[in-house]
Amino acid sequence: MVLPRGTSLRSSDQVEDGHSGSSGIVVCISLTPMISLTSVTKQFKEKKAVSQVSFEGKIGEIIGFLGVNGAGKTTTMRLILGYLLPSNGTVRIGQKNPATQRLSVLKTIGYLPENNPLYPEMKVREYLQFIAEVKNVKEWYSVVEAVSLDEMVNTKIEELSRGYKQRVGLAAALIGDPEILILDEPTSGLDPIEQDKIRILIKKLAKKKIILFSTHILSEVEDIATRLVIINKGSLVYDGEKPKTKGSVEKLFKKLVKE
Amino acid sequence: MFALYKKELSYYLNNPVGYIVTILFAGFVNFMFMKDVFLGTSVSMRPFFGLLPWLLIIFVPALTMRSLSEEKRSNTVEVLLTLPLSETQIVLAKFFAILTVVLFGLLLTASIPVAFSVVSKVYLPEILVGYGGIFLFSASFAAISLLCSSLTKNQVIAFLVSLVTLFFLTLMATDVISSFVPRFIQEILAYLGPLYHLDNFMKGLIDFRSVFYFISVITVFLGLTIIDLEKRG
Repeated sequence: MVLPRGTSLRSSDQVEDGHSGSSGIVVCISLTPMISLTSVTKQFKEKKAVSQVSFEGKIGEIIGFLGVNGAGKTTTMRLILGYLLPSNGTVRIGQKNPATQRLSVLKTIGYLPENNPLYPEMKVREYLQFIAEVKNVKEWYSVVEAVSLDEMVNTKIEELSRGYKQRVGLAAALIGDPEILILDEPTSGLDPIEQDKIRILIKKLAKKKIILFSTHILSEVEDIATRLVIINKGSLVYDGEKPKTKGSVEKLFKKLVKE
Repeated sequence: MFALYKKELSYYLNNPVGYIVTILFAGFVNFMFMKDVFLGTSVSMRPFFGLLPWLLIIFVPALTMRSLSEEKRSNTVEVLLTLPLSETQIVLAKFFAILTVVLFGLLLTASIPVAFSVVSKVYLPEILVGYGGIFLFSASFAAISLLCSSLTKNQVIAFLVSLVTLFFLTLMATDVISSFVPRFIQEILAYLGPLYHLDNFMKGLIDFRSVFYFISVITVFLGLTIIDLEKRG
């Protein structure tokens, strides 16, 4: 079966060849959100934060988004979310434009912002319940189990360790089972054991989603990414397969960023 | 939007600051009014309604100061704006949460009319209209304070800017201004100030021009807050 561009078959959708009974052939194809940036530029007064960036993301991909500090990673992510509007170019989430259909687009995206801002005075349960209510989702406790937060659910966020806070942010992003996950430095500031746990979780989630994550840890990209997007000084310098051999991501990154 | 309203309200309910500010307000109103009431010869609610605006100048900014400035400082505003919530919903949810706490504070001052009704005959519609006017007055203050809170990441600055703005707006309808500006300018300034529009309510009269004035002030300042929240670079 050939699917048109922008269309993909979700792993959860059933394709039945109905020889049994009278149902005949039933083919269920759903339009799934796909990230698509075309020549996107973002200008802040004097500074051009992102320049002519184009790339795509499809269901099942874990896209490692690399760049040095100030390269334009967070700005690009905010443009995808519709939090910022592009000065030029277009962003598409499936068939929708986040610049004009932000609220509709945000229903399909889970986002973990940089530095994971949270409400310290709230308990984990209260916070996740609040996010679930805003997203109009009734069942939210499964995400608590998914990120192993069960024991901390009645703890105030301000009393949590950094690792647990990161899990709260991740749990909030996962509520509603969004098809796109955008994670801005999800393992930043965590100890190696916590980093591993988050990476395992990301890998587990990837089957039915597009995951776009930014990081400074190159070994992390080698470990979990299926594709690599590198941005330098606001411009895209690499978009393609992740090099397979160990240490090659670092070599590639250093070479491209140096140039 | 209701989820955010609940979250905001629970902040005031679960945080000592909300209680302290509200109880201080109600306590101050009761004390300031009651200390002079037995010196007077007549029983009237007008001095009570005349006193409230001056205390609301402190009470409303104290409740509102953190509302958006803290969201901006801690960057939780990014969390809100990347959820399926519009800027309008965020501002309205916060505005209504503040109004609910203000209403609670005003209810605590109801002990005064209740005490009056024991010792004298009070005309209930006059009191209700007076409270209605004070509520609209407070709502316009809340809208102005919310804009001040949105313009800075520092809640102390938000409080001070809001306090000074509300003080001068209230002062505009008083005789103090007449010493500095010509009569016709004073009349224009008085009409633009919220105290002028509260006057009829304090007499027990509903003036729809004043109702329109308060609704306009609320709409304009909430609109400006929404516009400020939409500016993200």
